[in-house]
Amino acid sequence: MVEQSPDAAPLPPADEAVPPAMIKADLAAGLFFVVLAAATLFGSWTMDRLEARRINPMTAPGLVPGLLSAALLVCGVILTLRSLRTPAPEGWRDLGRAIVSSGAQRAGAVLVLTLVYSLVLVGLLPFWLATGVFVFAFVLVFEAWLAAPRHPLLRTLPWAFGLAVVTAAVVTLVFERLFLVRLP
Amino acid sequence: MFDGLGLLANGISHFLNPISLFNIVWATLLGIVIGALPGLTATMGVALLVTLTYKMAPDQAILVLMCIYSGAIYGGSRTAILLAIPGTPASAATTLDGHPLALQGKAGLAMGLATTSSALGTIIGIVALALIAPLLAEAALKFGTYEFFWLALFGVIISGQLTAMDDPLKGYMAGILGLLVAMVGMETLHAHQRFTFGIASLGGGVDLIPAMVGAFGFAEILGVMKRTAQARIVSSSDRVVPKLGEVFKYWKTIIRSGLIGTFVGIVPGVGEDVGAWASYAAAKRASKEPHMFGRGSQEGLIAAETGNSSVVPGAMIPTLTLALPGSAAAAVLIAAMFIHGIRPGPLLMTESPETLYQIVAVLLFSTLAILVLGLTLTKPLLTVLSVPRERLMAVVYVLCVVGSFAITQRLFDVYVMVGFGIAGFILREMKFPMAPLVLGIILGDLLDLNLRRGLLLTNGDPSPFFTRPISAVICGVIVVTILMSIPAVSKRVRALLPSARAQSPGQG
Repeated sequence: MVEQSPDAAPLPPADEAVPPAMIKADLAAGLFFVVLAAATLFGSWTMDRLEARRINPMTAPGLVPGLLSAALLVCGVILTLRSLRTPAPEGWRDLGRAIVSSGAQRAGAVLVLTLVYSLVLVGLLPFWLATGVFVFAFVLVFEAWLAAPRHPLLRTLPWAFGLAVVTAAVVTLVFERLFLVRLP
Repeated sequence: MFDGLGLLANGISHFLNPISLFNIVWATLLGIVIGALPGLTATMGVALLVTLTYKMAPDQAILVLMCIYSGAIYGGSRTAILLAIPGTPASAATTLDGHPLALQGKAGLAMGLATTSSALGTIIGIVALALIAPLLAEAALKFGTYEFFWLALFGVIISGQLTAMDDPLKGYMAGILGLLVAMVGMETLHAHQRFTFGIASLGGGVDLIPAMVGAFGFAEILGVMKRTAQARIVSSSDRVVPKLGEVFKYWKTIIRSGLIGTFVGIVPGVGEDVGAWASYAAAKRASKEPHMFGRGSQEGLIAAETGNSSVVPGAMIPTLTLALPGSAAAAVLIAAMFIHGIRPGPLLMTESPETLYQIVAVLLFSTLAILVLGLTLTKPLLTVLSVPRERLMAVVYVLCVVGSFAITQRLFDVYVMVGFGIAGFILREMKFPMAPLVLGIILGDLLDLNLRRGLLLTNGDPSPFFTRPISAVICGVIVVTILMSIPAVSKRVRALLPSARAQSPGQG
């Protein structure tokens, strides 16, 4: 039906050659999925088959998860083998470089800020205060420290502070008063 | 047929009151702004806004979400033209010709053409929605357990195939992963808890809204903040409202792209980006000036914008009639409909036939709003584009937390959002598509329940899954799709095809 449609065939202009780092990343992903699928398969196989309730064995709760994890296992093995067979000179080194690149560091900074906010601050502080602190820290980190070129601190501080106050106030008021949603 | 026209008239008049019209205008405008801001996508906007519509009446809630959806798909074109960054993935193809036009000093023309062709694309899709959906709903009443199992599987497979064209294997893996996520929690046939590991919050399974907010919101924030480069806005001074001749010169391209977009929309889990690329490629192939594509071709711009906008109504066809989401944003709409007590699926046309025509009416109104707002608010939308993302993303993350918390008011959903965000970011960096994953989460229950219910009905005999005619056809399509995605097989089949073509004229 669909695969016959010639119109659906061409997609974004993609680079033909897969970069070596991606091949090694695929290898790691393939191995991860093999382990995940094997664990799920084991979990499905050992899942209670409710024999005591005399259900039809073909309707056991573990049937579909078992079939799915078997399919994922096959895909994981194919991905692993495919990346093993594709030559990727210096793939590991490129992958390592990608992991410690400045882009990845920026993503890491976002991760630290957001995790501290949603896992620690929310619940510990009142929601408006946690939100204010998060927005202030986020703007400060990305404008005055991780930006290239860095913004002068004196220009960033008022913006960060103002945005933090406005966001905390507006989000709290709008959700609690207008939409009557309890906030964390 | 005339019943349908009557219901459509009812649908339109249903929203002809001040509150509805006000909601249409602000929601469409918000959608356009969300779409225009790089890093905020249509799916993310709809997922975040579900919280805001929580307390609204069902019809108004669906109205707001639909307007956000279609507004955002259009809004992305603004950024694509002026900044050369697609505002949403749907307008990636718009960048190719929209930005060169802007660099030639024709930014106004490009924006005007994008606006009118978006509106025309949506209208083509709306006509298809109004005509096809009732027929499909009627046909779907004949579908039984066996057919729904295959449909769910087909949805995940085809989405995996088409959203990861250069590597369908990763698309399939994302789809299977989504289906496995849906296995967590209580299964409905025997009420047995699966993979909950003693965590009480997992008993009800993973909720779609927090998962979507994570995979399309938080993951997007990580992706946007990872990049350092900021683009420069091209200024525009020429007229924005296009001359009718400039648009209708390409009427063939408009109709072709609209139909392709609608078709792509109907295919489950394949969204606006594929619609735009497919109609762009088709327009290039059929064009008299293919060399102009990528250098500021007005035809290319029209094809991309008509293509992505017509996906929106097209995607609503399987969403409403089969409960198979036609795109990632439609998956959120299904979750929102359930929250508001509307059950999409084959019974929708018997239970509440007015819903379909109300959605058709909403899409018509939002198209009008897009046309008016898009052609008049050029300057204010320009200021939106200059919002620094450092400030924007901080606020968006706060909304991600509130959005995932507010529906069921438990912190567990915030952790689900964070988990899906991180996993989604890593998977996306490794070129695993997100759409099949969310499609898997929403279709997992359907697949599981219908497979085992079918086996229960036949006392364990799987043959009806292969012998009932509709089942056999869908099963065949799935097998062919998977086989053709294996490079060795497709190479051999392709090697056979041209030779067959080459032989036939000789024989004839």
